[in-house]
Amino acid sequence: MASDPAHQNEFPDPPSSPENEGSVLSTRGIEAFSRKVTTTASHLMAPLGDPTSHPHYQSAMGEVHKQLRRPMLQRNVFSMARTTPTDLVRSTLSSKEIQSRALSYVPDEMLQNIPEDENQYSLFQGFQATFPEFTEEGRKHRRRVSRGRKLLEETETGHGDGPHGVHKLRKEKASMMHQFEMLGVRKNMASCEIREIDNKMANLMGMRRIILERLANLEQEEALLEHEIVEVEGKLEDAQDLADEAESIALQTPPKSDEDVASETGDAADFMSQSVYEKIPSTRASSKTRKPRNIRRKSMPILHEHFKPGTMIRSVRAHKDSITTLDFDAPFGLMVTAAMDDSVRVWDLNAGRCIGLLEGHTASVRTLQVEDNILATGSMDATIRLWDLSKAHYDPQGSQFGKDDEDDGIAFENPDDQPVDPPSGSMADCPLFTLNAHLDEITALHFRDNVLVSGSADKTLRQWDLEKGRCVQTLDVMWAAAQASALADGDGTWRQTTRAADGSADFVGALQVFESALACGTADGMVRLWDLRSGQVHRSLVGHTGPVTCLQFDDVHLVTGSLDRSIRIWDLRTGSIYDAFAFDHPITSMMFDTRRIVCAAGEDVVKVYDKVEGRHWDCGAGITEAEEQKSPAIVERVRIRDGYMVEGRRDGVVGVWTC
Amino acid sequence: MTQLPYAIDAETPLSKAELDVLRAQYEKEGDMVGVQTKFNYAWGLVKSDTRTDQHLGVMLLSEIFRTSPERRRECLYYLALGNFKLGNYANARKYNDLLLDNEPANLQATNLRALIDDKVAKEGLMGVAIVSGIAVAAGVIGGVLLRNLGRKR
Repeated sequence: MASDPAHQNEFPDPPSSPENEGSVLSTRGIEAFSRKVTTTASHLMAPLGDPTSHPHYQSAMGEVHKQLRRPMLQRNVFSMARTTPTDLVRSTLSSKEIQSRALSYVPDEMLQNIPEDENQYSLFQGFQATFPEFTEEGRKHRRRVSRGRKLLEETETGHGDGPHGVHKLRKEKASMMHQFEMLGVRKNMASCEIREIDNKMANLMGMRRIILERLANLEQEEALLEHEIVEVEGKLEDAQDLADEAESIALQTPPKSDEDVASETGDAADFMSQSVYEKIPSTRASSKTRKPRNIRRKSMPILHEHFKPGTMIRSVRAHKDSITTLDFDAPFGLMVTAAMDDSVRVWDLNAGRCIGLLEGHTASVRTLQVEDNILATGSMDATIRLWDLSKAHYDPQGSQFGKDDEDDGIAFENPDDQPVDPPSGSMADCPLFTLNAHLDEITALHFRDNVLVSGSADKTLRQWDLEKGRCVQTLDVMWAAAQASALADGDGTWRQTTRAADGSADFVGALQVFESALACGTADGMVRLWDLRSGQVHRSLVGHTGPVTCLQFDDVHLVTGSLDRSIRIWDLRTGSIYDAFAFDHPITSMMFDTRRIVCAAGEDVVKVYDKVEGRHWDCGAGITEAEEQKSPAIVERVRIRDGYMVEGRRDGVVGVWTC
Repeated sequence: MTQLPYAIDAETPLSKAELDVLRAQYEKEGDMVGVQTKFNYAWGLVKSDTRTDQHLGVMLLSEIFRTSPERRRECLYYLALGNFKLGNYANARKYNDLLLDNEPANLQATNLRALIDDKVAKEGLMGVAIVSGIAVAAGVIGGVLLRNLGRKR
């Protein structure tokens, strides 16, 4: 037994070396095993081979055998061996065992890193608490409990019978204590699980943020690339035009006759055509107005859909005075704002930069609409101007504004204190033409395809053909009202609203056209549906008690907002009210998309009505800034497209939100 | 730590229905499975009689060990117990000793160490018996062969 230390050395401990543990079928493992077997054997046989100890061998062996039968000694001997032969054989020879060992392998550095135990309960206790019936103890206690309760009742009726009753009660108490303990564990488990879930959610939110940033970057890149594509397309078109031109000229030049060929080498007169080639494109280029490029976006921005509804995407101090009207063509597209300061600004919503100022109107713009790079503005100077925004000289890379360059698509910067000045002349090529026939300020306009309708304070509506740039039809609202009252008295007359049309209420509050259908809301609170083919009102919707300020219709419903503080949703087919709701202040602006009706109701937030969920909620600066003891200005105008909402406030700030 | 099961607890297998409950819960939580659920299933598996179940249980336990550091210490014990049941005494001892290094007074771990020693000793003796048996047989055969050879000469 003196050879114990040597014995130990002979049994190298495989698990302590990581590479051995990693690949269990290493030669070292097998070696260790074979060494072990041989040493065990040699250890036992050694005395045999030693002739000098031969006489003592029998007695010595007897001693050993006697001692080996004692378990304590057994343990001493074999505890030195860390494992058994069967284990070793299995761990080195059975592939399935090896596989499962590899799977359940725990790296050593993890084994070194075992933090202090701070859990209120062990996993096993958790197991016991969740499935009390699965454990022996739990079963016992459960049985005990039911029995205990019964016994308790019995003892109560029998009034206890000495030590027996005490014993029962003690048992009862023990089991109740057990249950109590288990309940505590379960409580802890629940709270731990909640914490775990919170952590997971935090992690997921972090991941989401990262991916959202990635999406924002991708969208940014996409927008830039698209811009470049459009540019290249334009160049390609121009080049194609040149090539075609050259070709047609080449065809027109008469084929060379034989004598021409002879004189060709010496005579330079024929080579005049060369200079013609060069001249024609240049003259043509100057004469030809650049074809309006269709920068309709090929890609659909989806970034805003992944924001939480009510998240601010951007806020810009667009103007120094109250916003009078604004519109944008698409999420992260172009936005045009007009304010009381008589300026009209064009914005790149993607970068949050002002592209340029539109100059031409002599008074402030009251209404405007952007559609596919075409902008129509209606002004207090009684003119309507049309602009082609695709002709703006604008580089989305934005080298001209150093400070804005770092902005990415979702930069939540504070609204700039001063509006950024765009490069002058960037919009010089934009004006298309001016429509002037109205006698008073334009208060509403709407266009679709080539039809534009405008409403003016001169109490008329005009229909314009955008192709020819001419007024096609004039609709006199007062005449129509008189007509209606003559035909069927009472209904359809010009009614003086209970809320007297004060100076702020426009005679024509809102317009929308769709092919030959025109809807207009006026200061008398009526909504008239016109047929542009006949120039007649074919339906009047009565209900609002104040001037109508905004309206929009789709294929089923017509939604109107009025200074009478209500939003009314009409059924277009029957002309009856489908739904209505009211706010605390007059509605100044309203728009809806497929899911939401948003409106500006004289508050510092935008009122959103979720049509799908039938839920009202507020969105805007008033919610977050109220906590900071700030009161943002009242929202004057609001527009929404595909859940991307833009609102303009009385202090000239424009906020962009997701809905 | 007094909240650990004794080794005997691991020797009482759950019924199939009970294990199914645990498995269903584990599978229901999918990728986002919580530690407790995972452990519940793993523990049910370790308690099982079949070797494949035990293997899976130990694997899940080692996953818990890897992913939740705050559970490592107790996991050492479960791992030791699982490996003990599997007969991987070397691993069982490694984990158990590590736990005992941290908590010398842990009753369950002390108990488990004794059990491992016992098992190793028993199976070790058996191994010795087999080896010596083979050795004796070899000796006898060798002797016979030698004698035969001698005779032939």
